[in-house]
Amino acid sequence: MITLKNINKYYHQGNQRFHVLHDISIEIDRGELVAIIGESGSGKSTLINIIGFLDDDFEGTYFYQDHPIHDYTRKQFSGLRNQNVGFVFQNFKLLRESTVADNVALPLLYAGKSRKEIGARVSEVLNQVGLAGYEQQLPKNMSGGQQQRVSIARAISTHPKFLIADEPTGALDSETSQEIMNLFKSLNQNEGTTIIMVTHDPHVAEQCERVIKIIDGRVISDSKEGEKRAGN
Amino acid sequence: MQVIELFKTAIQSLKANKKRSFLTIIGIMIGIAAVIAILGIGDGITQTMYDKFGNNAKQGQQTTEIAFYPDNLTSSTYGFTQTEVDNIKTQFGGEIKRVQIERETDNLSTQAQIGDTTKRTNVSLLKKPTNKISLISGKNFTKNNLTAGQASALMSDKVAKKQYGTAQNALGTTVTVNDVTYNIIGVYKAQGQYTGDGNQNPYGADILVPDSLYYHGESATQGNTLKLTLSQGVNASHISRKVAKYLKKNGPARNQGSYEYIDMEKALKQFSSEMSIITTFISFIAAISLFIAGIGVMNMMYISVSERTQEIGIRLAVGATPFNIMMQFLVEAVILTVTGGLLGFIGGAGLAHLLAPLLSNAIGGAGIHIHAHISMNAFLLAFGTSAAVGLIFGILPARQAANKNLIDILR
Ligand SMILES: Nc1ncnc2c1ncn2[C@@H]1O[C@H](COP(=O)(O)OP(=O)(O)OP(=O)(O)O)[C@@H](O)[C@H]1O
Ligand SMILES: [Mg+2]
Repeated sequence: MITLKNINKYYHQGNQRFHVLHDISIEIDRGELVAIIGESGSGKSTLINIIGFLDDDFEGTYFYQDHPIHDYTRKQFSGLRNQNVGFVFQNFKLLRESTVADNVALPLLYAGKSRKEIGARVSEVLNQVGLAGYEQQLPKNMSGGQQQRVSIARAISTHPKFLIADEPTGALDSETSQEIMNLFKSLNQNEGTTIIMVTHDPHVAEQCERVIKIIDGRVISDSKEGEKRAGN
Repeated sequence: MQVIELFKTAIQSLKANKKRSFLTIIGIMIGIAAVIAILGIGDGITQTMYDKFGNNAKQGQQTTEIAFYPDNLTSSTYGFTQTEVDNIKTQFGGEIKRVQIERETDNLSTQAQIGDTTKRTNVSLLKKPTNKISLISGKNFTKNNLTAGQASALMSDKVAKKQYGTAQNALGTTVTVNDVTYNIIGVYKAQGQYTGDGNQNPYGADILVPDSLYYHGESATQGNTLKLTLSQGVNASHISRKVAKYLKKNGPARNQGSYEYIDMEKALKQFSSEMSIITTFISFIAAISLFIAGIGVMNMMYISVSERTQEIGIRLAVGATPFNIMMQFLVEAVILTVTGGLLGFIGGAGLAHLLAPLLSNAIGGAGIHIHAHISMNAFLLAFGTSAAVGLIFGILPARQAANKNLIDILR
């Protein structure tokens, strides 16, 4: 589904060029549950942003299904994001002054749905993440774990092909982390949703079927490649 | 995203920041209200002037007047007689529908026989009872007196005292004017011959008689004002000028005075163009205040954009296009300014209606009533201008919002 080949990424600071990602080549298939781990500053967020169509400024080729993402413009990204990806962030990124229902409805609104169609879907996904009946709550009155569930509900509301999660449990205690992790696993197993997450937490990483380790912008190990090599 | 959702979202965001939205609206409101009030009063004045002095273009015809001004104010020569009317009819028959000597009703100078003396007397004709005179003795006219053809008259106390010694004595006496003998039924306090603003005061006459009897129901056969009725569409001013020229050469009284056509239309055109210069000038000043209000809108939108960076990032991440974001902020700006514009329109219209009567009083003419005139154009102007201000001053902040770098926001 996702095919990255020789991805290089540079950040420009003044006239200095900072090489963040070095020749990254990864393939991810439908239905995988992938963890990307690595030290702070190694380039995990940078990579996951490219995979999630948030960043169009990179070198190399990126095919998503049959779309040549490397040729797409910022404008084309919006639709692609809306239809294909769900995002979960470490700090939830909810509209704190809007109700839970409005937050979850947001991607559906941008997909062109009317509020009538949206209501049922919102209740459905809230139910799925264990927040049935929370529609009219405000996120600022909810716990971190609950807020993260809202953001997961928002991420899955448009039936995306894959989820991108940047340290989804980074701001949660270990017990809540596990609840969120269970939610991801059930989405992956029951709905077949592809999930790519960045994490620092070894407990979280070890529950993922595939772990990619990055150091200084290079892939230094990939459990799937390891399996393949072992199989050969 | 559906358009209705765009508006709902915008209104929600504006509500979230009520105080700031309110202040921005006020700014626009004041600017628009000023423009509408000024235009409303200006239009009102112009309209009033046309109604009062124009060629009265109504029901398919227009009327003009030619006046005769005698050199000697006390002379009894009239500028127009029936012969003149007939002459003008033959001369200009094709262009003028009707020629009429205006019935004079105020302060006619005529011979009257009061008691046993006959002398020159000022007589005014009344169509309706009046309360503008104060009775000293006897009764005032009733509606019946005036319409039923009763030969009754009122006399001023000055004449009464001179002739009969007291006001009381005059009651029941008779006065004969123009072959009709009237009974004096009341005596009123004498007034000046001119009103405060220099017009003739009909109640300054020596004797008041019913209009219906004086002219024996016929139109006047002599007088100092000629009324021309012309078809709609012809150049009334031009024709009237020609008639006046003809009269200056051939008029029977051309040596005792002058015939003048006062071209009110021309004066009015000039007046209204002067008015429009003034309104344009004041509107220009109002436009500056709108410009300042516009800067206020822009300022508020920029603050809003920078405060809501996170929101913009979230919206972009879940699939909003930059165009969606731009529209959202633009719609917010336009909602603010149009709300201000509509409130300003209402306020301005109210203000104009409030100020117009005060203005009439200030001008002082009892006959002049200035009504503010708020046109559909004024409404469209308020709506259009405020929407334009929103668009013009909203576009830059909105574009800034749309062009924010998503990666930078989400870090
Ligand atoms: N917008 C940017 N401009 C310049 N440098 C950047 C930018 N974003 C990231 N970097 C740099 O690129 C490197 C990789 O950053 P990135 O956020 O991908 O790391 P990360 O692996 O996600 O780290 P962490 O685990 O702390 O989140 C870091 O050294 C960072 O300072
Ligand atoms: Mg990171």
